[in-house]
Amino acid sequence: MLIKVPSVANMGLETILVDIEINLANRGLPGFEIVGLPDKSVGESKERVRTAMVSSGVEFPQKKITINMAPADVPKEGSMYDLPIAVGILSSVMEFPVPDKSLFLGELSFDGSLRHTKGAFLMALYAKEFGFKNLFVPKDSANEAACIKGLKVFPVENLTQLCRHFAKQDQIFPVEYKEEKKNIVTFAEFDMKEVLGQEQAKRAMEIAAAGGHNLIMIGSPGSGKTMLARALPGILPPLNETESLEVTKIYSASGDIPPGGGLIIRRQFRAPHHTASLAGLVGGGSKPQPGEISLAHRGVLFLDEFNEFPRSVMEAMRQPLEDGCLTISRAKQRIQYPADFMLVASANPCPCGYALHPKKNCTCGPNQIAKYQKRISGPILDRIDLHISVMPVDSEEFSNNQENSEFLESSEKIKQRVVLARQKQQARFADEAIHSNSQMKNEHIKKYCRLSKEVEQILRQASLKFQLSARSYMKMIKVSRTIADLAGVEEIELPHMLEALQYKPKNYETA
Amino acid sequence: MKENAEVIEINDKRYPKALKDALKNLIPSQWPKKLYYKGNWPALSEVEGGGNIFKNCLAVVGSRHLTSYGRRATEQIVTEIAAAGITIVSGFMFGGDEAAHSSAVRCGGRTIAVMPCGIDVIFPPQNKKLYEEILENNGLIISEYEGNFKPVNYSFVQRDRLVAGLAKAVFVTEAALGSGSLITANYAKKFGRKIFALPGQITSELSKGTIKLIKEGAEPVCEANDILSFYKVLVSQKRVAAAPAGATEKGSLEEKILDQLCREPMKADDMARMFAVPVAQLGTALSLMQLKGFINLDNGKYYIN
Repeated sequence: MLIKVPSVANMGLETILVDIEINLANRGLPGFEIVGLPDKSVGESKERVRTAMVSSGVEFPQKKITINMAPADVPKEGSMYDLPIAVGILSSVMEFPVPDKSLFLGELSFDGSLRHTKGAFLMALYAKEFGFKNLFVPKDSANEAACIKGLKVFPVENLTQLCRHFAKQDQIFPVEYKEEKKNIVTFAEFDMKEVLGQEQAKRAMEIAAAGGHNLIMIGSPGSGKTMLARALPGILPPLNETESLEVTKIYSASGDIPPGGGLIIRRQFRAPHHTASLAGLVGGGSKPQPGEISLAHRGVLFLDEFNEFPRSVMEAMRQPLEDGCLTISRAKQRIQYPADFMLVASANPCPCGYALHPKKNCTCGPNQIAKYQKRISGPILDRIDLHISVMPVDSEEFSNNQENSEFLESSEKIKQRVVLARQKQQARFADEAIHSNSQMKNEHIKKYCRLSKEVEQILRQASLKFQLSARSYMKMIKVSRTIADLAGVEEIELPHMLEALQYKPKNYETA
Repeated sequence: MKENAEVIEINDKRYPKALKDALKNLIPSQWPKKLYYKGNWPALSEVEGGGNIFKNCLAVVGSRHLTSYGRRATEQIVTEIAAAGITIVSGFMFGGDEAAHSSAVRCGGRTIAVMPCGIDVIFPPQNKKLYEEILENNGLIISEYEGNFKPVNYSFVQRDRLVAGLAKAVFVTEAALGSGSLITANYAKKFGRKIFALPGQITSELSKGTIKLIKEGAEPVCEANDILSFYKVLVSQKRVAAAPAGATEKGSLEEKILDQLCREPMKADDMARMFAVPVAQLGTALSLMQLKGFINLDNGKYYIN
């Protein structure tokens, strides 16, 4: 008897249909075999399926069972084929037909229950595109698949429940498609109003969040760099619909959506440690996995102690910083992961850290400092739009001056301005392939950032005086565009450009 | 510093007059016969004319473990005094001495560092940057020891007599009882110099020495004019060299910034708080003034050019 159960294979973010063909032969010695380039985890599925069925009280057929995964030349991997294989065998044993236009995915446990399995969201996207109607997925992964409208997503708890559903003795009710709430509570470790002083750094954070600009903070230990960065998620605008789908895709592929989790609506904040490997940060492995830069897609990649990162890791980020995506090439396959992230880096000015400290003495020699600073290459610094120095705050000053509290804006208030500025950008780039000011290429700058004579003159003067590179020159225009957006103004005016110049690249030592 | 040291003998007409007078209070064996120096020693004509680096000297000494209050007070007062053209003399040690030297250097003032070691040694080594800055700002490095002589206990005390002897007055910022700063003050007394002291908290160990000095008749210092009046420079002359008069509108933010920066260098954040303007607006003003060349950014703080 031949049975066909459809499932999918995810390669990176691409999904293809995989037909699980199950043949139960009455002749020949009883056995269980899988063909069609299964990897180790797929091969082991035999044992899981057998034991799960027995635990669920179903007699495992004493027949020669052969399973083919078509197309046979694409390597299959992962534990997601447990459910389709089990459904195929069950349908033969219990004699129910495999429902039409349905896809199956899920990993089985020995007790017959289904475990959270990665890739449910990608399968749902595929189902929507190719006209499949029903999805059978583990209960913990159902929310993920239910993010796509117009599908019936059946949350399966265990095999027994599924059998009763097919035998029409009981019913599994599909998960409702949920419109995500528009008002998302942002979660950040700190609120901006908890950060005392650092007005300029906070303003730079606001600009970075509004325009998606990269930012670097340089300052002594204890000056508040990390705290500022940790407060950043609180002022990031929520993801819009398309962005949300893009991010959820990556997380579904890497299996980083927690059990029960659904669509990702918050901008992600990734903070890998500086011991991260090249593959961990930019993605890779023999079966290419997305790295931290892809997991930070449309969100923030925070690299603390930036100059402690290995040079190779840092340089590998250059191309994704420019293009917003990364192609991982292997002999067998090439996979492209999007990686359009906002880089927030922090660094010390010298090995001892106190070169910029107003009070403590730096004990580093000039050679040491030069060597330390060279760890961040020029090309990387040149790709960072906002440069700020963070000086330690005099705690005495703040304990005495309570009236300063009116100066401390809450994250919520800053976020409102950021969201408005983002909306302006979205309207502006409606017909373009970009989302934010930081992504503007020269053609966009020409089109959307017309400078008045006066403003251009100031910029020229500044680029002469401060010796700005051509790329920095363009970056100043982009940043001033964002500042104008924050102010709610159409034209870039003189004050906007002058403020942008505050965040120009600085000489490290005398930042 | 590859620059070669030079030497001035005690019989030279260019030997500082104030020091010579002070030495009369000591036995001749204690007189420094030779002074080694780096930097530009004033020419004979300048010495006779009186308008040289040694004319109006103030010795500023303080504890090695300066408190943040001591540092702030030193920066505030010494900056103004040095800006008024008075030479700041100190002993190049970290803490109080270093604060005095660097405050003077930051506002472009002249300062003399008297070293406890051979003229070719930079001690303490971490002050190397300051050493260079002193020379860049037409200051002097002086020592009575030649070559690579390493500092030893007694040489610090010997240095103190030069610090006190070169200056018309000594300003002690912070000193614990029995500290080196009090040794300088004792020399000053012996030489008949005026002594100023910074009042501090009675609870602070580092204020006990200065409070003792005040009890014994030293003049407490609350603002730069307390010292400047002694030098007959009544109002501190503001150095607004780069920004010509009338360059900024009266009452404008620019003027407030220039006014503030004349007194002390500041961070943008602190200025925003002080003037109660959003940092965005302040940044605009700062960029413009930087472009015009009125102010400059160094070490995260803005300075007047």
